[in-house]
Formats: sequence, structure tokens, C-alpha cells
Amino acid sequence: MLNSLLLRGLFLICVSAVFGLSALDYKIGHFSKAGPGLFPVVISGMLFLIGLAMVIQSRFIQATPLSFKFKKVGLVILSLCGFAVLSAQLNMTAGIFFLVFCSSLAGQSYSLVRNLKIFMGLWLIAYAFKHFLSLNLPLI
Amino acid sequence: MDILNNLAFGFEHALTLQNLMYCAIGCVVGTFIGLLPGLGPLSTISLLLPLTYSIPTDGSLIMLAGIYYGAQYGDSVSAITMKIPHASSIVACIDGYQMTLKGKTGLALFAAGISSFIGGTVAIVVLATLSPVLGQLGLKFGPHDYCALMLLGFFCVSFVTTGSLLNGLAMTLIGVLLGLVGTDVNSGVSRFTMDLPFLMDGIGLISIALGCFGIAEIIKNLDENQEITPFNGEIKLMPTWPEFKRIIPSALRGSAIGSLLGVLPGGGPVIAQFAAYAAEKRFSKYKDEIGHGAIEGVAGQAAADEAAARTSFIPLMSLGIPENAVMALMMAAFIVKGIQPGPDMITTHADLFWSLVASMWIGNCFLVILNVPLVRYWLSVFKIPFGVLFPSILFFCCIGTFSINNNLNDIYLTAAFGLMGYLFMRMGLEAAPLMLGFILGPMLEEYFRRALTISRGDFSAFLYRPISGTLLALIAVFILWQVIAFFASQRRRKPSAATAQP
Repeated sequence: MLNSLLLRGLFLICVSAVFGLSALDYKIGHFSKAGPGLFPVVISGMLFLIGLAMVIQSRFIQATPLSFKFKKVGLVILSLCGFAVLSAQLNMTAGIFFLVFCSSLAGQSYSLVRNLKIFMGLWLIAYAFKHFLSLNLPLI
Repeated sequence: MDILNNLAFGFEHALTLQNLMYCAIGCVVGTFIGLLPGLGPLSTISLLLPLTYSIPTDGSLIMLAGIYYGAQYGDSVSAITMKIPHASSIVACIDGYQMTLKGKTGLALFAAGISSFIGGTVAIVVLATLSPVLGQLGLKFGPHDYCALMLLGFFCVSFVTTGSLLNGLAMTLIGVLLGLVGTDVNSGVSRFTMDLPFLMDGIGLISIALGCFGIAEIIKNLDENQEITPFNGEIKLMPTWPEFKRIIPSALRGSAIGSLLGVLPGGGPVIAQFAAYAAEKRFSKYKDEIGHGAIEGVAGQAAADEAAARTSFIPLMSLGIPENAVMALMMAAFIVKGIQPGPDMITTHADLFWSLVASMWIGNCFLVILNVPLVRYWLSVFKIPFGVLFPSILFFCCIGTFSINNNLNDIYLTAAFGLMGYLFMRMGLEAAPLMLGFILGPMLEEYFRRALTISRGDFSAFLYRPISGTLLALIAVFILWQVIAFFASQRRRKPSAATAQP
């Protein structure tokens, strides 16, 4: 079982390391004439300290379990990426079709007829956006 | 007299057919999303922000403001009728739902609607009088003072939105770091771009907002398999005269508390409703009934909620410092439209400022009609199944992201932030402070570097300047209070653990 506080602390340390170490590649300068790397280093340092405090805290405070359910988040992210890929390769109509039918798999119930109705409704909205709000949507 | 003249000037602009239409759209959308569980003003404003490109400046800002304060009206309805709260209507669930159980739903909805109207009206008076004064004060702020003010805002928002200073502060700092991605304006160096050309201009605000709020919220609701039972009870709206008399004092008390807490950094509707409820419990003539379905328990918090939503515009418009995540998005909307909120805004964009203030009162009238006589029709919104709603929201997220730069790469970025938002949520890290850090981060860096250049790298200048010194002292007190509270809670826990062990 994952300990949420420990994981949170380690995550923050990782983020601070990524930004902090990258920032060291830029000119740091000094406080009276700061380079582009100084401010990110200061902020990363503060984030590192907070992460470290959480890791230390996790040794004294009772662990709270943490769980991830990746199926639904995976389907939602896949539907968004699929929308972008199909819109680029074919057109946005195919993208909307994929988005509706793929994301609905994450819902509690699945109905082809309902999905078809949602797809048609959204396509009409996209059409209205394109023609009335002048959005540049590659629908066809 | 000046204020009356300015308000008349504002009404002249706000009462044009076009602005009235945008105000009405904002109020209707705001009420709608306030009713819907799983969608808040933050995700909706981020969703609609790209669409405002094709709308005139005053119309788009009037509409977005309408969404924000409209949502505060609408969220009481779902809290009272079905005990489904948003962050800013948690307190409405207590007495409001108790009143529903007693068959007094109509009275509770009437009390919430009328109190919100009173709260909104009082707050507009405060907004109109206080903003210009604070704007004048803002002209005295130097880079050191702005730095200290932003830090105070970070501390307060971090604590208020997450309940844990460390968690909130961590998210703010991540937001600041994400805000630094792109080209450094002082040196022209590209920072953290991984040689990706589309990151040279920085990460898009909309990608972060939609990912961390819109998409992450949908995934959370899908994870929880939320099912809603629509409200089918009877609604009798009109109160008796004695019941109506009980609403007014509570609404006025709530308005005063909400107006004050809305202005403070980290304040806003969430904290205001709790404070107003606590005040009712202490000062109301019917304090013994509170918690068991008292009108005062609904009226006070509704007025405070609405008043705080309006007065939270004061620091944004007069100092250019947003005091919560929604205001940070509103600031982005101002910037998108080429307007920098701050002390100069009231003089350089007087027409926009006063028409926004006037539109808030017009919006108040729209909202009281939408939420009192028409409330029974809004309840049918709950009959829209989430299975229909969430693919539609995802579609709007995609269109919103794409339409900014007509670039499909931005959708991948939004998807990545959606995943990140979900992970944050699961790890118990609240995304709202991240948004504030992201928007204020580049500004903080700019003021920080400027302040240190002026004082030749000497940090003591922050302490010697009266404004920044006072603000930093407040931060020190806040940290000290947090440390004492932590050790006190540890000390309390130890004896209870000792007694638990035989």
C-alpha cells in the first residue's frame, strides 16, 4: 500500500530536482544582478525543503493509503489524444466521433444510440462555432 | 457625488443591448454550472475563456464576471434541495437541507435568493467606494511591496484552499515554476522548454486550467460513479411576513462579513460562508434553531457567499493582485483583452471598470429572477445524465484549447495536465493554488529581480519599507501560528494515544 504523504514528498522532491538542476545550466548571476537561473533555483530550493519536510513528517504521522484507478483516466486521456490525432490526420468530425465513443466507455452505461445523438449534437455546435463565432475548425 | 456620477456613467455603458445580453448569458451559464455537480466557476471560466476572443472586451468581462457570481447563486439550489454542495455552498447544506426535509424547500430557496441579492447589492456599494481608494493606495506600492503582497497572498490562499499550508505552498511553488517555462523576458534565454518550439511562449494558461480543473474534475466524478436523484418535491416560494422579517437581519450581517472577507487575501466565498454561519450561531435571535433548519442559517451564509464573490474583485482591479484562483483566471481574461489590472486601470479604463461594477447590479436583478420565481425550472437540469454531460465537456475542452492558437499540440498539453491534475487530486494536492502561482509567478520574478536590483542585492530593504515590512510581519505571524498549532495538535494527540493503549 502506498503512503500518500511519503509519495507526495518524493514527488515534490523530484519536481524540484528537475527544475532546480535544469536551472543550474542557466546563468545564475548574483542577487543585485540576477541571471535567468537564479529565481528558479530559489523556488526549486524552497519546493525541495517542503518535499523533504513531508518525507520526514511521513515517518511520524500515521500513513494514509493511496490508490490509483487508471482505467477511466486512461480512457479520457486516450479520447483527447485520439481527437487531436484524428483531427490532424483526417478531420475534426472523425475526432469528435472518436472522442464521444471512446470517452463514453469510461461512463457507467454505454449506449450506441445515445452516443450517436451526442455526436450529432456536438457536431452541430462545432458547425455553429465555425460559422457564427468564426473559429477555424477543420470539420471536413 | 463622484461615485454616483461614476455609477451613472457605468450604467450608461452596461445598459447597452449588447452588454445586457452578455450579462444575461453570464448569469444563466453561471446559475447552470452552479447547479451542476462537478463543474464550478473555475473550470467554466477556463472553458469559456478562449471563446471570448471573438467577443468585445467589456462584453466578455461582464459575461465572465456574471458566470462567477451567478454560480454562487446557483450552487445554493443544489445544496438545499439535494445536499449536493460546491465548495462555496457547503454551509447551505446544513440548514438548507434540513429545511427541505421539513418540507420548507421553497422558503429556503427564497431566503437564499433574496439574501444573495442583498449580499450582492451591499458588496457593489463596497466595490464602488473602496476600489478607487485602494487604487490610489496601490500607486504607493513599489517592487518590494508587490513582492511581499504576492507572498502574503500565496500563504493565505495556500492555507485557505487546502487547509494545509505545506500542501498549498508546494502547489503554489509548482505553479510558479510552470509559469517560468518559456523565454525569460530579461535575458531572452529559453528556460525549461526541452527545445520544443511551442513552449517558447510558455505553457498556455488554458491548457493548465482546463487540464487541472475541467478534465481532472470529470475523471474524479467518473471515479466516484456519482449518481444524482432528482428533486421532485413541492415548492412553495412565498414566505409569510414573520418569516420574511427573519431573513433581513441575517442577510445584512452576512453581507457585511462577506464584503470584508472578500477583500482579504485568501478570502472569498468559501471562508465567508463559514464566518457568516458562525456569526449567526453567535448573534442570531433564533440561534438555538440553527443547525436544525433555521432561515437564518441559510440567509446569512448566502448573503456572505455572494458579497465575498463580488468584493474579491477589489484587490484584482485596484492592486492587480488576484486573491483566489477564480480571480487569477479573471486576471488572465483582462490580460487576454490587453488590459493590465492594477492601480491605473480605474483611471485608464474607467468605462470598463464602472460598466463592470454597474453590470454586477444588473446581473443581481437577473439572478434574483432566475433563482427565485424561475427556480423550479432550473431543477430539471439535474435530470441531464452525467453520461451525456461529460463527453460534451471534453469536447468543449478540446475546442477551447485548440481555438487559441489553432494548434492541435495544445490538446496534448491539456491532456497531460488533465493526467497531472488527476494525480494531484489522488495525492491530496489541491490544484487551485497552482493556478495562482502560475499566473503570478512571472510577475513575482519580475518584481523580485527589480526589487533586488534597486536595493543592490540587500534583502533588508524588504523589512525597512513600511508596506512590505508590515506584510512580511503578517506572514511571519501566520507561520508562527501554524507552527504553534502543529505542536499543540501533536501534544493533544500524545495523551490520547497513551490512554488508548492499555
